[in-house]
Amino acid sequence: MLEAFVFATIFCGFFGIILKKNLVMKIISMDVMSTGVIAYYVLVASRDGLFTPIVSDGANATYSDPVPQAVILTGIVIGFSIQCVMLVGVMKLARDNPTLETNEIEKSNTP
Amino acid sequence: MNTLTMPSAGIAIAWIALPFFLGFTIYLLPKLDRILALCMAFVSAGYALQLFVTQSPLTLQLLDNFGVTLIVDQLSGYFILTNALVTTAVILYCWRTDKTAFFYTQVVILHGSINAAFACADFISLYVALEVSGIAAFLLIAYPRTNRSIWVALRYLFISNTAMLFYLVGAVLAYQTNHSFSFASLRGAPPEALALIFLGLLVKGGIFVSGLWLPLTHSESETPVSAMLSGVVVKAGVYPLVRCALMVDELDPLIRIFGVGTALLGVFYAVFEKDTKRMLAFHTISQLGFILAAPAVGGFYALTHGLVKSVLFLIAGALPSRNFKELQHRPINTTVWIALVIASFSISGFPLLSGFGAKVLTTKNLLPWQAIAMNVAALGTAISFAKFIFLPHKADGEEAVKPGFWPAAILLLAGLFVANVVYYEAYSLANIVKPLATIGLGWLAYLLIFKRSVLKLPRVVEQFEHLIGGMSLMLLLLFWMVLA
Repeated sequence: MLEAFVFATIFCGFFGIILKKNLVMKIISMDVMSTGVIAYYVLVASRDGLFTPIVSDGANATYSDPVPQAVILTGIVIGFSIQCVMLVGVMKLARDNPTLETNEIEKSNTP
Repeated sequence: MNTLTMPSAGIAIAWIALPFFLGFTIYLLPKLDRILALCMAFVSAGYALQLFVTQSPLTLQLLDNFGVTLIVDQLSGYFILTNALVTTAVILYCWRTDKTAFFYTQVVILHGSINAAFACADFISLYVALEVSGIAAFLLIAYPRTNRSIWVALRYLFISNTAMLFYLVGAVLAYQTNHSFSFASLRGAPPEALALIFLGLLVKGGIFVSGLWLPLTHSESETPVSAMLSGVVVKAGVYPLVRCALMVDELDPLIRIFGVGTALLGVFYAVFEKDTKRMLAFHTISQLGFILAAPAVGGFYALTHGLVKSVLFLIAGALPSRNFKELQHRPINTTVWIALVIASFSISGFPLLSGFGAKVLTTKNLLPWQAIAMNVAALGTAISFAKFIFLPHKADGEEAVKPGFWPAAILLLAGLFVANVVYYEAYSLANIVKPLATIGLGWLAYLLIFKRSVLKLPRVVEQFEHLIGGMSLMLLLLFWMVLA
C-alpha cells in the first residue's frame, strides 16, 4: 500500500517533468520525483523493523536496516545541490526569457 | 583487506582523493592553476601505467559487504589513461587562453570524479561519482555564461539527473535481493532492478536512443569542453556497463545487442550530418557502441577513441567554419589538414595508427551474429570521415588555430602512434587488407552518393521533452529485453 503511494509520487514527478511547460515547474517536478525515490529507500530500510539500530543490552528487537538510509542521505545532499545549481541557471535564463517556457527557450537556443 | 595489499590500497585511495583536494587548492592558489591541474593529470597517467606494469588487479572492500567496493585492473587502467591524456591535452590547449582558476578547478574535479567512476565497483559510489561529474560538466558547459550555453548545460544536467533517479530506484531494488550494492549483486536481481539501473547508465553513457541528448550538448560546448565530454565523460557511463558485462555473464548478450544498435544508429546519423561538430558527436555515439560490442577488449577501444575524438574536436575548433558545404569552398591550412587526416585515418582503422589495432581486436572478439552489423558500422565510419579527408587545402589556407592547439594535438596524435604497441599482433596481411577495402568502399560511396546528398534528418527526437519521454519507452524496452 505504502509502496504504491511511493511509486505514485515518482510517476507524478516524472509526468510533471514531461507535461509542465515552465522550467521552474519542471525542476519542482524533478524534486517531487526525487522525494519519491528517497521515500522508497526509507521504505526498503524499514522492511525488517522500525527500531533505530543502536547497540544496547536490551532484547534483540526488530531493527531497521541502516544502510539504505545512510546511502540516501548522500542522495538527498546531491539532489539538493543539483537543484540549487539548476535554479541559478534558471535565474540567469529568466533575464531574457521571462516566461521560462521550455519550448520557447529551446527554439531560440537550438541551431 | 589483508596487510599485503595495504600500500597499494593506500595509493589507490590517495589517488582518488587527490583531484578533489587539488581542485580546491587551485581555487585557493589561482596563480598555480594550470600547473596543479597538469600535475594531477600526470599523477593519473602514472597510476594507470603502474596498473599495466604490476598487472595484478586490486580489489578493495572497505567496511563490510555493504561498504564501498573498488576494483582497479587493466580494464580500468585503459580508461584512466584515456582520462589522463585527454585532460592533459585540454589543459595544454587552454594554457595560453584567459580561462580563470574556476575553469581549471572544474576540469580537475571532473577528472577526479571520472577517475572515481573508473575505480568503483558498487552502485552507490558510482552514483556519487556520476553525479559529481554531471555537476562539474554542467559548470564547464555553462562557463561562457551565454544563454545558449546555460540552456545546453541545464538540459544536460536535467536529463542526466532524471536518469540517475531511475538508477537509484534500481539500485535499492538490487540491494533488496542480495543486501549488497556491489556490481556482483546484479546476479539474481529482479528484472525491474536491472532495467532501471541500465536505463540510468545508458542515458549517462549516451547509448542507443537514450544517447540522443549527446549531439547538441557536445556540439554546442566550447572546443576544449567538447573534447573532454566526448573523450572521457561519456565513458564514465559506459565503463560500468562493460564491467557488469564482464562480471555477470547473463548480461553479456544484452550489452552486446546495445553495442550493435548504438554503433548503427550513431553512424546512420553521422553519415547524413552536415555540421562538423555534430557529425563528430553522432560518431561518438557510434564508437561507444563499438566499445560495448566486445566488452572484454572495450578498454583499448575506449583509449583510442578517447584520443582520436578529442583531437578531432580540437581540430574542428580550428577550422574556419562548422559547415561542410562552406568548408568545400574555403581551403584550410595544409598543416591543420594533415593532423585532421591522421586522426581521420586512425578512426577509420587505417594501419600504422592505433585505431587499426583497436578495430582488429574488437572484430576478433565479436560474436558471429554481430559481425555483419559492425562491418556496416565501420563502413559508415569511413564514409563520414571521407568528408574530412576530401576537404580542399592549401599551404596558406584559412585557420583559426589557438596558441595551445599544437602541443595538445601533437600529444594526442603521438598517443595514437604509441598505442600501437598494445596489439602489434594485428599486423598480418589478412588483417591489413580488410580495413583498406572498407576505407576504399567508404570513399567510393562518399564520392558517388553522399557528397551530393541533401537529405536532412529531422531533429524532433532531440527535443527536451521527447528525450525525457524517450526514457520511459526505453525503460519498457529494457524490461522486455531483461525478461526475455
